[in-house]
This record gives sequence, C-alpha cells and structure tokens, in this order.
Amino acid sequence: MTTLLEVKNLGFSINNNPLLSDINFQLSAGEHLCILGPNGAGKSSLLKILMGILPASTGQITLNQSDLSLLPQKLRAQQLSYVPQSHKGLQFFSVEEFIKMARYAYHSALSDWQPEDKQAVERAISITHTEDFLHRKMDTLSGGEAQRVMIAAALCQQTPLLLLDEPTSFLDPRHQVEVHQLISDLNQKHNITIIEVSHDLNHAAQHSQHILALKNGKTQWYGNSPDLLNNTHLQALYDQDFVFTTHPQTGAKIALASEQL
Amino acid sequence: MNQRTTLILVALISLAILCISPYLGLANNTAEIQHHILTQLRIPRILFTFLAGSGLALCGMVFQAMFHNPLATPFTLGVASGASLGAAIYVYLGLSFSLLGIDGGAFAAFAGALIAISFVYAVSRYQNGFSPETLLLTGVAISFFFSSLILFTQYLSNLTDSFEIMRWLMGSLTTVGYDEVLQLLPFVTLCTGVILWLSRELNLLMAGDDIALSRGVPVHTIRYVLFIVTSLCVGAIVALCGPIGFVGMMVPHICRLFVGADHRWLIPTTLLFGGSFLIVCDTIARLIIAPADIPVGVITTLLGGPFFLWLLIKSRAKLA
Repeated sequence: MTTLLEVKNLGFSINNNPLLSDINFQLSAGEHLCILGPNGAGKSSLLKILMGILPASTGQITLNQSDLSLLPQKLRAQQLSYVPQSHKGLQFFSVEEFIKMARYAYHSALSDWQPEDKQAVERAISITHTEDFLHRKMDTLSGGEAQRVMIAAALCQQTPLLLLDEPTSFLDPRHQVEVHQLISDLNQKHNITIIEVSHDLNHAAQHSQHILALKNGKTQWYGNSPDLLNNTHLQALYDQDFVFTTHPQTGAKIALASEQL
Repeated sequence: MNQRTTLILVALISLAILCISPYLGLANNTAEIQHHILTQLRIPRILFTFLAGSGLALCGMVFQAMFHNPLATPFTLGVASGASLGAAIYVYLGLSFSLLGIDGGAFAAFAGALIAISFVYAVSRYQNGFSPETLLLTGVAISFFFSSLILFTQYLSNLTDSFEIMRWLMGSLTTVGYDEVLQLLPFVTLCTGVILWLSRELNLLMAGDDIALSRGVPVHTIRYVLFIVTSLCVGAIVALCGPIGFVGMMVPHICRLFVGADHRWLIPTTLLFGGSFLIVCDTIARLIIAPADIPVGVITTLLGGPFFLWLLIKSRAKLA
C-alpha cells in the first residue's frame, strides 16, 4: 500500500510549554487510524496541526510525498477535511447552506456553482442520510443529526483523508452505533482514509487498523490495533487497571476498567 | 418571505426614504430659499448620511462575523474611540494636510482605529481565542482609556479647538457638504467592494475559525485585510462626522433576522438598510426640536443602548 501521510518528529508548544513532542507515524491510503489517550494528551491538537488550524513548532508532515506546510490552506482543504469536536455558533445557518459552504476550496470569488459541486453535495447528503432535515436550522438538530451534518459537510470537500475529533463522544448509544457505522462505511465502501480521535478503546481496537496512543504529548504506544488490549499497555496509558472479556455476539476481546471490590 | 423579496422590499423602502426625507421640514420659506436649502444643504447631507450609515453598518457586520458575536462592533471594541482619539490629536496639534485630496484627519483617525483593533486582536490572541467576555471587556477598557486621552487632549486644547472636538464627538451631520461626500465615497466604496469580494469567506468565518480553516479559508490573511479596510472606513467616517454609535450593531443584526446569515444577501441588505436607517435617525434629529439640530449620535445611542441590553440578555438566555 502507498504511504499517504507521514509525520516525522512533530512537536507543538505554546509559550515554550511543549504540548506535543516527537510524534512519528505513517498512514497508508485506505487505512483507519485511531488516536487514543487520556484527556489533555494532545490528541485534538495533533488533528488541528494536520488540518492547519494550529502551527507545528517542529518536525515535518508530508502528504503524497509533498511537504504539507508549503500547501496553501485552500489546497490543503482539498486534501484533508476535519470534523471538530464541538460546533457552536452555527445557529444562523440552515443545514443545506452549511453543507454547501464546504465547497469553498473548489471556488474563487467569481466562479459559479458547477455540476460537480451539485454532485458532491448530493453524494455527501445521501451517504450521511441527511436528506430529511436539509431545511432545518443548525441549532435545531439533535447531537446525532448535527454530527451527521458535520460529516456530510466534510465529505463535500472530497478529500482522500478525513480527520474526526471524538465524533461519538457526546452521543447516546444508538447514535454512537449509527455514527460508528457511517465512519466504517466511509472507510471501507468509499475508500476514505480516516484519522479518528476517540475515547472508545474497544471500538478503536476492533475497527481501526492502527492505534496511536498519546500521553502527556508523547507517543505511549503505536501499533496494530488489537494488540493494545492488554493490561500492561492500557495501565501505562490510562493509569488504570483493566479486565478483559469477550463480546457475547462477536467474540471480540473487550477491555473494561477494573473496579476495586 | 424569501431573501430576494426582502432585499427588493428594503431597496424600495430605502429609495422612498432617500426621496422623501430631503423635503421634510422645508416649509415657511420662499421657493428660492427652499431650492437653496435642498440643493446645497439637504442633498449632500442625505448622500453623506447614507454613505456613513452604510459604511458603519457594513463594518459592524464584518466585526460580528469575524468575532462570532453580535455585540462585537467597531464601537464596542474601541475601534471608533481609537479613531476619535486620532482625529482629536490631529485637531489639537493644529495639523492640516491632505493627501490625494483626502483630509489628514481621516488618516489620523485611521491610524487610531488600526492601533485599537491591533490591541484588541493581540489581547484575544494572547488569551488563545475569542471568549466573548474577554473581547467585550477589552473593548470597554480600550474605549475608556482612549476616551480619557481624548478628554486630556481637550483639556490641553484652547477653547475653540476644545469646542470643535466636543461637537464632533457627539457625532453630527449638520455641517456636511458635497466635499465631505466626495471625501467619504472612496472609503465606503473600497470597503464595500472588498467585503463583497470576501462574502464567502465571511460566511465561513461566521461558523468559527476552526471550520473556516478546515474549509480552506486563510483566516489570518483575510482577517488582516478586513481589519485594514474596516479601519479605513470607520476612520474616515469618524473623522468626517464623529463617532455615531450603535448603527453597526443594530442594523446588521436586524438584517440577519430578515435575510439570514448568507453574506451574499446580507451585504446588500445591510448596505441599504444601514444607509436609510441613519437618514431616518438624522431626519428625527433634525425635526424633533427644530430649528435646533440635535447631533444624530444622540438619537442612535438612545436607540442603541436598550438594543445592546436586549442582545446581552438574549444571548445570556441562549447560553443558559
């Protein structure tokens, strides 16, 4: 498989206070990478650096063998799209307006709406099943609906790589399953490479190929996803003991935080 | 009502206001005097007022989008105070120069506006984000600071200069003629042009910096460009007619309620509504205790104060 993204010795600090240091990983086209780690480990910052929202302090990111830092933001948005963790201040937009705005990177100030724009928007809407609430305002959506709209907008950018920041953290179980299923479909059916920040380590272990585990801004563990599920790794990562069982339906290994009895 | 119908309606109402307002309060004069008042005083005043109102409303709209907050405007963030200070210092120093036919006062006001906005921006950057509270408090602090510097300038000035500064600080459109219209026109045109050119970027900025960046907007560059054109526009308006408050807050907010947040519709609506709104305020100021002419800033601030409180209470309720 070809390498899509390569991150070398990446570091990020604010006021000489290092929040990320020495991050290294590679991503093949079509892969699903999960980034795990305790709160404050620097997971979201890493995604924001990749998206160009935060500036890297050191290191190099290459995408398709070219240096990402040299890419203007508009061209970057044709390569990477991003679903943020929280989204406020969207109350003025209708769902349709918000999704269509995501075609920005393919337009200049004077260019007209093209057939391929219409196609991209329709495709994104049908993949995410957001047809039914296109005319509603963004602030009237439930958590699950809003997350699907955010993903639809990112899909309009037609990027080979999609960055998701805790896409299921604020959702109830039903909508968690729904959004997880959507992400798996994007990865497997639509061949989109995915980097997902998550707290759901069982989901990550089963559905992603690789896991990058961060702690205090450093790589704690990096490898094939199912291998993370043992007490040594998880204890080191979360400072918490875990016990293991199997999923009654699928037989997959499940980690549960251990309790003091 | 869809956006197109609303815009056409606003355009018709603006046209009516433009046509009717010059004739109000013309009575009790001979035809000759009426003609003179109309062509030499009223028409330039109406044109100037329209330009100033449009410019202030558009700059307010840009600030609200950039800072994702309906309370953020060139006035609440201290930019107008900066411009006022610049112009006051220009008067105090007795400077008098012009460049390309544009009065030096406008440049002094522009410099003041740019200093104020850079300061607000630096503080909010240092705080690593635009928390609305920090932003507004910074603006209030800057306004107070510049206001006391203006008072200080006034204290140092002689009586004539001091009176000139004070009258102009009230925001008045009494003395404008065709000259002022021609002085203001390039600034408002430039500002409107740039804002129209950046309407898609403004839409995305409204959705937040992270979303704008991830869609491909070079947020920092766009913000600098917008800071410069709005500072130029606010600087020119403040230098020519004083700080007329609250137009930039009320007008775009009301327009957004009517046509939504899409700047391709919001910009023309705000431009028309801002201009005609200020004409209405000025006509009230002119007629309410005629023949005395109240500074229009008094009227807009009387309307704007309660509006500001209403927005504040409403946004609190929304957060809770």
